[in-house]
Amino acid sequence: MTEALQLERPAHVRPEQFVDFDIYAPPGIEQDFHAGWQKLHEPGVPDVVWTPRNGGHWIVTRNHLLDEVFADHTRFSSRVILLPKASGEQHNLIPTTLDPPVHRPYRNVLNSSLAPRAVSAIEEGIRDIAIDLIEKVRLQGHCNFTTAYSEVLPIRVFMTMFGLPLEDSAKLKAWADATTRGDGSISMGDALERIGVYLKPFLDERKGKDGTDMLSRIVNGRIGDRQMTDTEALQMAVQLLIAGLDTVVNFLGFTFVFLAQNPEHRRMLVDNPALIPDALEELLRRYPLVTIGREVVEDMEYHGAQLKKGDMVATATPLGGLDPSVNPDPMRIDFKRAGAQHVTFGTGPHKCPGAHLARTELRITLEEWLKRIPEFRLADDTPLRYAGGIAASIVAVPLVWDPASTRAA
Amino acid sequence: MKITFKAAGSEDRTIEVHGSLTLMEAAVRHGIDEILAECGGACSCATCHVYVPDEWLAVTGEAGGMELELLECVEARRPGSRLSCQINLSPAMDGLTVELPPA
Repeated sequence: MTEALQLERPAHVRPEQFVDFDIYAPPGIEQDFHAGWQKLHEPGVPDVVWTPRNGGHWIVTRNHLLDEVFADHTRFSSRVILLPKASGEQHNLIPTTLDPPVHRPYRNVLNSSLAPRAVSAIEEGIRDIAIDLIEKVRLQGHCNFTTAYSEVLPIRVFMTMFGLPLEDSAKLKAWADATTRGDGSISMGDALERIGVYLKPFLDERKGKDGTDMLSRIVNGRIGDRQMTDTEALQMAVQLLIAGLDTVVNFLGFTFVFLAQNPEHRRMLVDNPALIPDALEELLRRYPLVTIGREVVEDMEYHGAQLKKGDMVATATPLGGLDPSVNPDPMRIDFKRAGAQHVTFGTGPHKCPGAHLARTELRITLEEWLKRIPEFRLADDTPLRYAGGIAASIVAVPLVWDPASTRAA
Repeated sequence: MKITFKAAGSEDRTIEVHGSLTLMEAAVRHGIDEILAECGGACSCATCHVYVPDEWLAVTGEAGGMELELLECVEARRPGSRLSCQINLSPAMDGLTVELPPA
C-alpha cells in the first residue's frame, strides 16, 4: 500500500485508518470480484478505514458494523447513498434516499405488492417464465446464460407485476440500464424521461381505479392524508425497475459460474432439490454484490474513527458475508453452514423490500434449471470478466452442456 | 437448528433452519402463514409479531428503538412481544419456541 501514501490523508483520519482501496475495483478484480475485499479483513486493519478513492470516504469492514450503519438512520442518513458523493447527490429516488419517518409511508405502498403472500400468488407465473426460457435453450447445448436467461427473467417478472405488456420488456430494460451504467447511447436524463413518457399513459389509466397490479398500487398510494403525486409515482416505478433487475441478474451470474465450476455442489442440489433454499442462503452470503453508502449526520467518534458531518461511509455488502470473524473460512461454500451472517439485502428501514421476491426468483431458477439441465460447465474458450460497480457482475456467463443429458421434466 | 411455533388451536410446528436468516424469514420460508411480514423485514409493519418466552429473552434480546414504537400499536402485546424480523437467528437459539399471537 505504499502508493496510497502519495495521496492526501485528511487531518481527522489516523495513519493506520488510511487505505488505498477502490470499492468499484477491489484488488484482483481481473480474476475475481470477491477475493480482494479480504484485504480489509487482514490482521491489523482497523474495523473502520478511510480511502481517498471515489471522492474519499470511510469503509466499515465488519458485518456487525454494516448492520449498524444500514439500520441507524439517526447517525447515518440515506440522503446520499451512492459514491462518489458528488454524483450520489444527483441521485434522488423515492423511497431510497428518504430517511424515516418521511420514508415509511412510501415504503408501505410497496409492501402490499412484495409481501410473502403477494409473491406466493405470482410464484407459478414466475415458474412459467423460467421454464419457457430454459426450454428455449435446452436442446441447443449452449447459451450465454446472461443474455438468454438472467437478464430476461427479472424484467419479465417486473412487467407481469406492473401489468405492462411483455413485448415492451426489452426497450424498458435498455432504458433502465442506461440510468445505471449507460453505454453512452442514451444519457441518464434522456433514459429517465423516456421511461416517464412510456409509463405516463399507464399511470393515467390506472389512477383512481382499484387495480391490484403494483403500478396501480403505487399511483393510488396514500402518503399520509394525500394522494401520491405523478412525479413520486414515477420515481418509485423507476427505483423498482433499477433495484430489481441488476441485482438478480448479477447474482444469478455468480451462482451459475459457481455451479458450473463445482459439479459436486451442483449434483447435491440435483439429487436433493430440498436443499436448494439452504444452498441459496449460503450463496447469498458468499456472493454479495451491492456497494452503496450512507452520509454521516453529525460529528462523532465511531469505533475509533473521528467521523465528520457530511462524510460518506461505504456500506459494501461483500464485507459482511465474507467477514471471517462471523463466518469462518468465508470463501468456502458449505450448503449446511450453521450460524452464517450477512447483510446482502441490507438491514434496517431500507432493507431490500424485494428480498422475498428475489429469493423466490432464484429458488425457482435453481429448481427448474437443475431439473432440466443438470450437467453443464463453462465454455472454456473465454476467460470470465468481472465488472465492479454499485452492483458488481460477471460480464458474460457462457455455458455448454450435452443436450442428451437434459430432461424435458 | 430447530425452532417451534405454537399457536392457540393448532398443533405445534417445528422447523429446521440453516444459514443467515431472521426468525421472520425462517417462518416465511417454512410456511408459517400467520407471519405476514408485509414490509419484508424493514421493521415498519408489525405483521411478524411473536411472543418469546421469558427463558429465551436473554438469548434473543429484547425489543429496542423502532421496534418498540411499532409494538406500541400491535394488538395483544405482552412482555415477551418481539417482531420476528428483528431477531437474527444464531446457533444459541437452537430449540427456541415462540408463540404466535391470536388471529
